[in-house]
Amino acid sequence: MKALTGNRLTDGEVVFWKAGAWVERFADADLFDDAAAAEAAEADAKAQRTVVVDPYLIDLVESSGLWAPLSFRERVRALGPTNHPHHGKQAEGGSAIEALQNAAGAARSSGRVKLIKR
Amino acid sequence: MYRYDTLDKEFLADRALEFRQQVARRLAGEITEDQFKPIRLMNGLYLQLHAYMLRIAIPYGTLTSTKLRKLAYIARTYDKGYGHFTTRTNLQLHWIKLKDAPEILDHLAEVEMHSMQTSGNVIRNITADPYAGATADELDDPRVWSEAIRQWSTLHPEFSFLPRKFKIAVTAAAKDRAATRIYDIGLAMRRGRDGELGFEVMVGGGLGRTPYLAATIREFLPTRHLLSYLEAILRVYNRHGRRDNIWKARIKVLVASLGAEEFARQVEEEWGKSDHSRVDLPDHELARIRASFAGTFETLPAASETLEARKAADPAFARFLRRNVHPHKAPGYAIVDISLKEPGETPGDITSEQMEVVADLGQRYSQDEIRVNYQQNLLLPHVKLEDLPAVYDALAAARLATPNIDLVSDIIACPGLDYCALANARAIPVAQQIAERFADPALAEEVGELRVKISGCINACGHHHVGNIGILGVDKKGEEFYQVTLGGSGEGDAALGQMLGPALPAAKVAEAVEQIVGVYLRERKDDERFLDTYRRTGVAPFKEAVYAEAH
Repeated sequence: MKALTGNRLTDGEVVFWKAGAWVERFADADLFDDAAAAEAAEADAKAQRTVVVDPYLIDLVESSGLWAPLSFRERVRALGPTNHPHHGKQAEGGSAIEALQNAAGAARSSGRVKLIKR
Repeated sequence: MYRYDTLDKEFLADRALEFRQQVARRLAGEITEDQFKPIRLMNGLYLQLHAYMLRIAIPYGTLTSTKLRKLAYIARTYDKGYGHFTTRTNLQLHWIKLKDAPEILDHLAEVEMHSMQTSGNVIRNITADPYAGATADELDDPRVWSEAIRQWSTLHPEFSFLPRKFKIAVTAAAKDRAATRIYDIGLAMRRGRDGELGFEVMVGGGLGRTPYLAATIREFLPTRHLLSYLEAILRVYNRHGRRDNIWKARIKVLVASLGAEEFARQVEEEWGKSDHSRVDLPDHELARIRASFAGTFETLPAASETLEARKAADPAFARFLRRNVHPHKAPGYAIVDISLKEPGETPGDITSEQMEVVADLGQRYSQDEIRVNYQQNLLLPHVKLEDLPAVYDALAAARLATPNIDLVSDIIACPGLDYCALANARAIPVAQQIAERFADPALAEEVGELRVKISGCINACGHHHVGNIGILGVDKKGEEFYQVTLGGSGEGDAALGQMLGPALPAAKVAEAVEQIVGVYLRERKDDERFLDTYRRTGVAPFKEAVYAEAH
């Protein structure tokens, strides 16, 4: 399973793809179990050059019955910095946030590797 | 404090306007991200994990109350009410919006500040001895020379597209408080046999993936030739530095591959060809810069009864005096270190309210001067002894009086994976866990001088290579692990740390530091510092303690 993420151009906010637009909460993001659909969305996202910067696909893992980014870096992006629990998206709390906080997957961010190679 | 002239102010206003137009063009889609990225980076604006990050230059770590209040205002208005001081004595704001950045640059320009030279392959913001103008052990005020380099290097057309970034540190004191040996160029002032002042010129230091301590390429360069000699070094580097490989592009790799002697020969040859008078500062300009740093001090008694009485009655104040207060060149004055390392807090972080407290204290008690040092702390350089109780009380009320300067809890840590797009692992929580284990000030003081430095990736912004205990975050298949090195130093006895053993999981690091300190306390003789004991015993007993369970 994958999701599509990037940073919003105007403010740098971490955003996720949802039906051709961008949302701030990972819990609201479109999830792709079809690689072709994910790549098509990524191509569409890259065309939105005045909306988002460097969109990329991330791998997901199951956590507490929900999905969470597989890499720790992507979970930090989806939550906020661990030294300020009231900063970033984690401040909202709730079960979707807890699922991300409890996720235990570990892998390098696939999107990040691609960005570095670029 | 150096003040901008009309030309400087007009230039800065123009520059801010130019950036406003560039941002507008990016937002309108007239330029692509690939075109815009180098432009924003040249203005210190990075895109990180959660938002844009603006890195604001603090030339040679010197601030006035007006500047610090402006930083507090910007942090409160455009960020989340706090900022992070870095090992390059800059201030980073981690929650900046691109659309606000032009307005922020306007605010900075109002107080003669900017964010140039904090990114890009240029000569970066100059760092200097934070005790400049206040310490008795200096031959001259290094800010004079730092300011001269700043003016010369800002947007220098020949050196705006170097192979890689370029950092210069300046000290004029016997004790190296500017880590000059880990800089691309380190300048340390010396007095020649005839009494003339000059610089020992060290080149090719740097940390990162390939750490090197700088080599001296000239024992004595008369100060008046500083700029022409720097130009010669930069020209040799610009010509021969590796542009084909980012990991080999810093001057340290060039110096190491040529050898310091050959590199020095090429610099001397280049310098010999140049017309020095075209570049070196004329005396009248140097005098103009110098005049702006002239401090005047009252004639005061060398001791203060007010101070002594409080010291005798208040052990916490006495501890603060021991740890955070240092001798000043003028009788009756002191240098006050303000720790931004309260155990449990983020190293180098400061809230807008705290910035305002420090600004008020600087204005009232320290000749309107505040300094930043590479240990991510602040200083009030010129405080009267009789004012120390009032300064201490105000700092303590703002939770800024932690008495831990140079102790185990005075930890350098980069922002790490909590903020930084380059990081492999977090640095802040590791620092917090270690500091909390030594939160008892009596314990920290018993351990004594011990510099712990943590980086979240191999780029080494947290100076881990030169930590007495260095900690490097690495990514092992997506999990945070930490390599520990021992015996590093960034000071006069500069050394790179030696690897302790296999990387440790995050949960084990603070415990390992405690074990390392335990070995030190067991092994130390007399008043040995951690570094002294380590150098005497070697790594073996420390390794045994940390990895005992594995055997």
